[in-house]
Amino acid sequence: MASLPPDPGELTEAYLRLLATIERSLATYVYSLVASGSDAQDILQEVRITMWKHFPSFEPGTNARAWAQRIALNHILNYRRSERKRPSLSLDEAFIEAIASEIDRQGDRLDQQSEALKNCLRKLPEPHRKIILWRYYEDCGIEEIAQKSQRSVDAVYRLLSRVREVLQECVQRPNTHPSVL
Amino acid sequence: MRLSKDNVERIQRALEGLLSEEENERFQADVVRDPELRAAYVERLWLHSSLRSEKDRLPEVFEGEPLAERKIVRFWPSIWSSILTGAAAACLTLGALFLGFGKPALLQNHVAILVQADNCKWAGSDLPTAIHSRLGAGTLALVEGIATLRFKNGATICIEAPTTLQILTAMHCRLIEGSLTADIPEPAHGFTVDTPDLKVIDWGTKFGVTAGSTGHSQVRVFEGEVEVAGSSKVKNQRLHKGQGIHVDSGYSSPEQEPARGQQVQDTNGWTSIPTSFGKGKDGYVRRGDDGGPMGFNPLLLVKHSDLERSYKNERRIILTFDVSQVTPGSLTEAQLFLDPKPSGFGFPSLVPDSRFAVYGITQEALDEWDEGGLRWGTLPASTESGPDPQASRKLAEFWIPRGGSGSVTVRSEELATFLRTRTNGLASFLIVRETGESDPSGLVHGFASKEYPGATPPTLRVR
Repeated sequence: MASLPPDPGELTEAYLRLLATIERSLATYVYSLVASGSDAQDILQEVRITMWKHFPSFEPGTNARAWAQRIALNHILNYRRSERKRPSLSLDEAFIEAIASEIDRQGDRLDQQSEALKNCLRKLPEPHRKIILWRYYEDCGIEEIAQKSQRSVDAVYRLLSRVREVLQECVQRPNTHPSVL
Repeated sequence: MRLSKDNVERIQRALEGLLSEEENERFQADVVRDPELRAAYVERLWLHSSLRSEKDRLPEVFEGEPLAERKIVRFWPSIWSSILTGAAAACLTLGALFLGFGKPALLQNHVAILVQADNCKWAGSDLPTAIHSRLGAGTLALVEGIATLRFKNGATICIEAPTTLQILTAMHCRLIEGSLTADIPEPAHGFTVDTPDLKVIDWGTKFGVTAGSTGHSQVRVFEGEVEVAGSSKVKNQRLHKGQGIHVDSGYSSPEQEPARGQQVQDTNGWTSIPTSFGKGKDGYVRRGDDGGPMGFNPLLLVKHSDLERSYKNERRIILTFDVSQVTPGSLTEAQLFLDPKPSGFGFPSLVPDSRFAVYGITQEALDEWDEGGLRWGTLPASTESGPDPQASRKLAEFWIPRGGSGSVTVRSEELATFLRTRTNGLASFLIVRETGESDPSGLVHGFASKEYPGATPPTLRVR
């Protein structure tokens, strides 16, 4: 006997639950492969829609993150192909695929780093928090931060690089003593 | 694995897009070829991308508020937003399901962030005004200072007090009154600002818009191009760098005389005398004069500029108070109160902190000026270059800081001394701006006149 088609309400709820478990890593994945924040947002939206359309054929219990990332990579490559006129933003296709497979390879480890990031951010001293807020929250470029902070462009770049390296160190060794920050 | 210093540097520069084209090509080739470099790059790229994709949560993280576990409900807004868009595209029917989850949170999505607020005072805003606040649709009313909003699409809007701005969507604002300057990058082309008189549509530019409290709007293009979609008074047109347009749809009627005001005495012995009391009067003049007599305008405008192109825009204010009900000889203290209002002319960012001077008109015969005939040539006690020293005397100075819009109270010993010499029951003052501007589009300062609905007219307080 053929099984009954899934109840639409249950299907939607199952989809939302699945998406909730992978949403953050999916967003980071897309941002890793797309230079422009607004393009990344658009692509993410398209990816969620494609996932929804194909969700009935998704096999529960298989790797949802890998499934979502495959869909996202297709969208990103299509987007790149349509954006060839903008070489200044170009990430070569082979390069994108190499990065994508490296993300896939490091999978769980990267997720653990994301989990640790919140606590590492909280260990930052005030001036370092400020530069992170300017750079990421306000989406300021280095020159703009230099103006705001009355530092040289080079000094801002050095500080920002250092703060990111400190965070990197911390997310890889989450128990690092705050004093090194 | 220990990454070389050189490679750390390359990765950090790559993340910031600082590699030259040639360096970038070499870097990408090395990443594809070298697994160690690739692993190190991906770790850092992931951190960088986590910060980018989670940027909206950063203030919350730093505030140290306990973050809720990432429960499914936190994600519904963005999911619903996607699904709804997708549903529309794919003609799916999710409406019934959607209703099951209550009001769509996507309607509350923020479209901009308040990224800077220098010395700001707010009033009557229905949006949050703390720095880094996320702003959805709603109204911001800035009464003092300068604030910068950054929209998600990259548009940056700077508002300068006094300004009331209504955010409608990420691409559409309404300037109810005040002034804004906008810097619109490519993704936000088409960004639209409405004023009561105009619709300004950006086509890649930096521009300024003002909306006066009594129906004036001005657009000025600093860079690029905008389209002005007009009203009945303005035809649709495109404006390019350096061009501007001014629309006057003032609702004031030159024939309209406001109700006469009252002289009020308070318990501390102060008597307040507005220009609307008795034989009081107020007005301003402009050197260009093409606006006609300015004795009945709801705004009193004042401007000074040393720039040749602004020569005709010099404006001066005259006030006459009926002091016949007070005894001049007994006065020991005096204050002059002014209520600033957005003029709709010019941009605060193009004028420095501004200094004004108050002159008393010493020749009593000159108190008999007529509001209906007030023009540049008939302004009492004035010469081309300024107040006539033979017929007036400087009594006081006051400052209005850039972006400042609080009420002005001028006090000086000289003011009371001048009033004590009055014998005809009238006291007249000229107000001039002494400081200039850096560009001909600099702000014209405005104050409420006795014709301004609901505002406090210029008022002399004595005791």
